[in-house]
Amino acid sequence: MNRQQIPHVLGALIIAFFVAFPFIYSAGNYDYIMHICIVGFFYAILASSWSMLAGYAGQFSFGHMAFMGLGAYTTALFCHYLFLSPEPTGICTEFAIAGQYLVIKNPIGVTSTTLTQDCLAQAMESWDGSVQITRMPVWLGIILGTLVGGIFGLLIGLLVLRLRAAYLALFTLGFSEILRATISAEIQVTRGQAGIELPSLFENGITVAGHVFSKTDKIPPYFVMFFLLLGCLALLYWLSRSRFGLFVRALREDQDAAAALGVNTTRYKILVFVVTSMMAALAGAVQAHYVTIITPNNLMILQMSLVVAMAVIAGVENFIAAAIGAILIEFMLEMLRTSFSIGGVEIDMSLWRLVFFGVLLMLTLRFARNGLLAPVIDYFRRGHVAAETVEKRASDAVDDSKNSPSQTGSHS
Amino acid sequence: MTELKISNLNKRYGGNHVLKDVSFTINGAELIGLIGPNGAGKTTLTNVLDGAVKPNSGTVYLNGKRIDQLPSFEVAKSGLGRTFQVTRSFRRMTVLENLYVPALALGKSHKGGAVQKEALEVLDFLTMGHLRNEYARALSGGQQKLLELGRLMMLDPDVVILDEPFAGVHPKLMEVIYDYIRRVNEQGKAMIIISHQMDSIFALCERLLVLNYGDLIADDTPDKVKNDPVVIEAYLGTNEDRSGTGQPEGTRSS
Repeated sequence: MNRQQIPHVLGALIIAFFVAFPFIYSAGNYDYIMHICIVGFFYAILASSWSMLAGYAGQFSFGHMAFMGLGAYTTALFCHYLFLSPEPTGICTEFAIAGQYLVIKNPIGVTSTTLTQDCLAQAMESWDGSVQITRMPVWLGIILGTLVGGIFGLLIGLLVLRLRAAYLALFTLGFSEILRATISAEIQVTRGQAGIELPSLFENGITVAGHVFSKTDKIPPYFVMFFLLLGCLALLYWLSRSRFGLFVRALREDQDAAAALGVNTTRYKILVFVVTSMMAALAGAVQAHYVTIITPNNLMILQMSLVVAMAVIAGVENFIAAAIGAILIEFMLEMLRTSFSIGGVEIDMSLWRLVFFGVLLMLTLRFARNGLLAPVIDYFRRGHVAAETVEKRASDAVDDSKNSPSQTGSHS
Repeated sequence: MTELKISNLNKRYGGNHVLKDVSFTINGAELIGLIGPNGAGKTTLTNVLDGAVKPNSGTVYLNGKRIDQLPSFEVAKSGLGRTFQVTRSFRRMTVLENLYVPALALGKSHKGGAVQKEALEVLDFLTMGHLRNEYARALSGGQQKLLELGRLMMLDPDVVILDEPFAGVHPKLMEVIYDYIRRVNEQGKAMIIISHQMDSIFALCERLLVLNYGDLIADDTPDKVKNDPVVIEAYLGTNEDRSGTGQPEGTRSS
C-alpha cells in the first residue's frame, strides 16, 4: 500500500467504525453518546459544506446557520400549520385536494389562554374524535426546507456577487441576524423564543429488518444523519473533483484572472451558495425533527462561530478534515463538561470549556493556518510531490546533458 | 483572418479621462507593441478590451463580433486572452490545475486524457514539466509569468495581450517568452505587448502604438515611431536616455 492510499483506507475504517458503533457500544450512557454522535454528524454536514463555501470558493459567509435555520423553520412551520382532513373544518383556511382538505391552522402565538383556540383544535373538539386528521409527511417538510434553503442561497448568492472578503462576511452576518430577529419577533407565527415543536423523524416508530424502533430510539436518527453526512461528503467530493471544484478554487484565488480565462465566475459563485445552502438547510431540517424543537437561539452567532471554529481548527480547505474535526470537537466539547475543583475552587467546565475551545482556535490560527487535520491528509496525498519534482528535474538535466555533446559535436 | 477593430474608445474615472477616442485596427498575425509613460492608459485599455472594465463610449469588435459590453469570461471565449501586469497565478492550485482552468472553461473534458496531454506539452515547452504537481505559490516570479503564458496557450485565443511580460524575468526565462511570442505569431495570431523594455519592443514588434495620457499619439512602424518628435517628447526621450535589456537573439536589431 503506498502512502497516497492511506487516507482512503483510514476513511473506510472510520466509516466502518461508525456503522458498527451503535451495535457494539453498550455502556450505560448509550443514548447520551449516540446523541453526541448524531449532533456531531449534524455539525459535520455544516462544517464540511461551509468548508466548500469558504475554504474552496473563498466566500467567507457567516450566514450558514441562517440557511440551517431556514430549513428547520420551513419544515417546522409546514408540519405545524398544515394538515390533511377528510372533512372541511368550516372555520380554517382550507383547500380541497384529491378528496381531502388541506387545512391551514391559524397562528395563535404562545399565550397560555389562547393555546387551544386555533381553528383546527376547535374543529376537532366539535368533531369529538369522529374525524381523523393527518399530519403532513416529515420527509416532505425536509424536502421543502432544503428547497427554501436553496432559493435563499440563490438570492444571497445574487446579492453578494460584487462583495468580497469582509464585506461579504458582514453582509451574510447581517442577513443571519435579520432572520433570527424576524423569527424572534414574529411570535404569532413562529412562537418566538418559545420555539416550534416538530414531529419526530419517525413519529410512529419504524421497523427495519423485523426490528421495531420506537420514535425515541437513537439508532434510526443516527443512521439517517450519518448517511446524510456520507451523501453530502460524496457530493462534495464529486464536486471538488469536477470542473465545479476547479473553477470555485480559481474563483477563490483570483476572480478577475479566472474570468479572463473564460470561467463564468458569476455562475459558479451563485452555484456554490445554492449547493452549500441546501446542504445546511437539509441538515437543519433533519436535526430539527430529531430534537423535535427549533428556536431562534439555534441561529445565534455563537452557533455560527462554532461551525467556523470546527472547520478552521480541522482545516477549512479540506471538507473531509472539516467533517472529521466537527465530530471530534463536538465530542471534546461534551467531554469537557465535567467540572472539577482545584484547591477547593470549583471550575465550572460547562462555561470554561468554551474558553478552552477559543484558545485552541487562536493557537490554530496562529501556528497552523491550514488547520490541524488538513496538513496530515495533505502529507499523505502530496508528500511525494517534492521528491517527484526533484527527480524529474534531475532526469531533465540528464536529458539536456546528453543532448548538449551531440550538438557540440555537430558543430565541430 | 483575425480582426480586432477598436473605435472611439473612451474611459473616464471621475475627472480623469484615461482613454480619449482611441481607435485602431489589428489585422491578422500582427505583433504590436503598446508603449507609453506610466498613467498613459495602457492597462486600462487592456482591461476594457478584455471586458473587465466597461468603456464610457466606443466599440470593440473581434472578428465581427461586438465584445465591449460582454463580461470577461465571454470575451475570453470569443478569442481574446491577456496576462496581468502583476502576475495573477492561482497560487494555492497546482501548476497543472492552473492550466486546466482555461481548457475546461472552453468546455473541454478530462475524459480521454487529451487536456492533460495538452497541458504537459505546454509545460514542456515552458521548461516547467518537473513542476507540474507543485503549487503555483512554490514557483519563482519568472516561472509564474511563464505559467500565465501557459494558461494562455491552453486558452488559445486569436488575440493575445501581454502586460509587461519581461518585467523582472531572468534572461534565460526571457528566451522562453520570446519563443512563445514567435510561436503565437507563427500560428497567425495577433499579439499586443505592453512593455517598458524598449529594446525588446523594438526588436520584436513590427508596429507600435503609443499612448500618452489617454491619447493615441502614434501608430506606426518602430523606426518611424522612434524618430517621431511627439513620441520622443512624450515618452522615449533622447538617444542618451534610452536604455533597456534582454534583447533576444535572432531578432531584428533596433
